[in-house]
Amino acid sequence: MTGDVASGEPPAVELDAVSRTYTRGEPVYALDDVSVTLARGSYTAVMGPSGSGKSTLLNLVGCLDTPTAGTVSVAGEDVTALSSRQRARVRGEEVGFVFQTFNLMPRLTAEENVALPLVFQGVARAERLGRARDLLDRVGLGDRTDHRPSELSGGQRQRVAIARALVTDPAIVLADEPTGNVDTETGDRIMALLDDLHAAGNTILLVTHQRAIADRAERIVRLRDGEIEGIDAVDTGGAAR
Amino acid sequence: MNLAESLRLAVRSIRGHKLRAALTALGIVIGIAAVITFVTLGASVKAEVVGQFDDSPANRVFLVASPDDDGGPPAALSQPVFTEYDVGRIEDIEGVDRVVPRGTIATSALSHGGETVARDQVTATTPALFESVTFRAGGPFADAESGDACPAEMVVTPSAAALFPGNLSVGDRVSVTQRGNRTRNVTVVGILDGDAGLNPLAGFGSQPRFYLPSCAYDTVVTSPTTGTRQNVYPQVTVVAENPGDTAAVQDRVQDYLDAESDAAQLAPESYAVSAQTNDDIVQRIETVVDRLTQFVTGIAVISLLVGAIGIANIMLVSVRERTKEIGIMKAVGATNRDVLQLFLVEALLLGVGGALLGVPVGVAGGWIAVTYAELPLTLPLGWVGAAIGIGLLVGVVSGLYPAWSAARVDPIDALRYE
Ligand SMILES: Nc1ncnc2c1ncn2[C@@H]1O[C@H](COP(=O)(O)OP(=O)(O)OP(=O)(O)O)[C@@H](O)[C@H]1O
Ligand SMILES: [Mg+2]
Repeated sequence: MTGDVASGEPPAVELDAVSRTYTRGEPVYALDDVSVTLARGSYTAVMGPSGSGKSTLLNLVGCLDTPTAGTVSVAGEDVTALSSRQRARVRGEEVGFVFQTFNLMPRLTAEENVALPLVFQGVARAERLGRARDLLDRVGLGDRTDHRPSELSGGQRQRVAIARALVTDPAIVLADEPTGNVDTETGDRIMALLDDLHAAGNTILLVTHQRAIADRAERIVRLRDGEIEGIDAVDTGGAAR
Repeated sequence: MNLAESLRLAVRSIRGHKLRAALTALGIVIGIAAVITFVTLGASVKAEVVGQFDDSPANRVFLVASPDDDGGPPAALSQPVFTEYDVGRIEDIEGVDRVVPRGTIATSALSHGGETVARDQVTATTPALFESVTFRAGGPFADAESGDACPAEMVVTPSAAALFPGNLSVGDRVSVTQRGNRTRNVTVVGILDGDAGLNPLAGFGSQPRFYLPSCAYDTVVTSPTTGTRQNVYPQVTVVAENPGDTAAVQDRVQDYLDAESDAAQLAPESYAVSAQTNDDIVQRIETVVDRLTQFVTGIAVISLLVGAIGIANIMLVSVRERTKEIGIMKAVGATNRDVLQLFLVEALLLGVGGALLGVPVGVAGGWIAVTYAELPLTLPLGWVGAAIGIGLLVGVVSGLYPAWSAARVDPIDALRYE
């Protein structure tokens, strides 16, 4: 489908027969022999019932988890074979991760949270905070830079988490239910931001439960019980893009 | 991640738990403070004692008979073994200017003008002791040539004179009650200018001192060499003619003592008869003080160890508590090394912070101890510097395992950690 790229460039993400099995008592097949390819600049949504393995899939692509079988390639590089140091680099530079549960540092302010990935890339403090403020502006939180997560609403935290995922200007953005905790208006704003990123050439992998949100992507991967149930192309005419 | 960055983050997390951090650092504060207090006290005691020896002339050789082990107070335990015969022989040794024997006469009381003062001993010596010593009034007693009558004279220190109402002055008559209730009537002929002892064997402390001529001395023994009854002294000071020859004189005197002296034959089993210079005595005292300091400091070091365990413990708790934060940092690109560095720097800050606080506390403690003991303060500056190093070391050692376990945290497990 969208995976066949004419140029010699490797796809942004490629999963080849990936399984992730948890063996806690009864084995749980969180992902079972999943193969999928995300072309560069593509926009893919993942849908499926709770527990179907959506977050597991994102964690594998984001180098947070390792598969029990199969290979995961990011930008043509087999990340399952990398050292922990190299995986840290992929996490910090290649992908931007928006977590289902935000995962912000409780003692850092919004701008410090957003700037955190740059700390580990050795970016100077002034530049880091400048970039963080720019991004907070972009997600509409320019007036909340000095707030701690506990002083922000759920939707605001979600947007801080998105700003943090984007601060390193990653080629691949992984978003796990970025609109799950926000009202429709904020949700639209977040989705508009993702549309912009897509338009700018970023590869986007988005998990959602909402059909309307998923329809903004180019295609939808449907998961059930750890297996791919189907991959649907979205009728682009409806989105007018 | 560079060091400044980890420092900033570490300071932040310490600020987040101020009380806990303060209590953790307190262990190190107490440890470092205790070490510095005891080392300061030791250094001050040493400086004081050694300083007194620096004042005494370099051309002295002191003869004592003391238990045959290293260390130990050299003079206090000295046995009376040096006979008049020995004193005479040593006077004839090449390079010897004079020989001053010293012993104590047991007394029960001294009285003057109807006033009686209880006193358990006075010093017997020769006028040679008073050479180059200043008198406030009068002068030394006469030398007793053998055969002559014993001069009925006494020299006292100012505080000794002050024991009697209206003070003793030159010309006053004092009766000394010796062992066996024998009374010796003497005239005060000199009052010294200070209360300190006049050689290391007598101790330097300020106290009332009474001096009688050696002929008043009453400890006698049969000289093994001559077979006659003679005075026998526990301490003898040999003064060399020339300070540069002191070592040579010391060797010759030691040779005599070893070979043919009465002292060697009279000394009890396991006692050594030795000729020591100022330096020898200083060294022995230093050894004693050092050993004592080391012992007490060792105890203080144990409290430092307890402090280190405290840091390790708190850091482990902190790693546990911040598992989720570690997961977040790793998820956004922190390497294992970054995490290790972060926690190590935090432990290091606690260690160094504790040490920095401990130094002034320790110096204050040392100052109080030294003031209480009425010694001049000597600061062991090397130790103050070392304290900072020790703080660093304690931080690294106690933070190593917690930091290592933080670095090993698996990001996905950590993010799920609640
Ligand atoms: N650490 C674990 N140990 C055991 N089982 C696990 C573990 N993590 C996830 N699972 C299981 O793997 C399956 C997939 O989980 P995953 O989090 O990917 O679901 P999801 O599709 O993201 O669900 P949701 O929509 O609720 O977020 C679930 O059945 C879950 O119970
Ligand atoms: Mg999920």
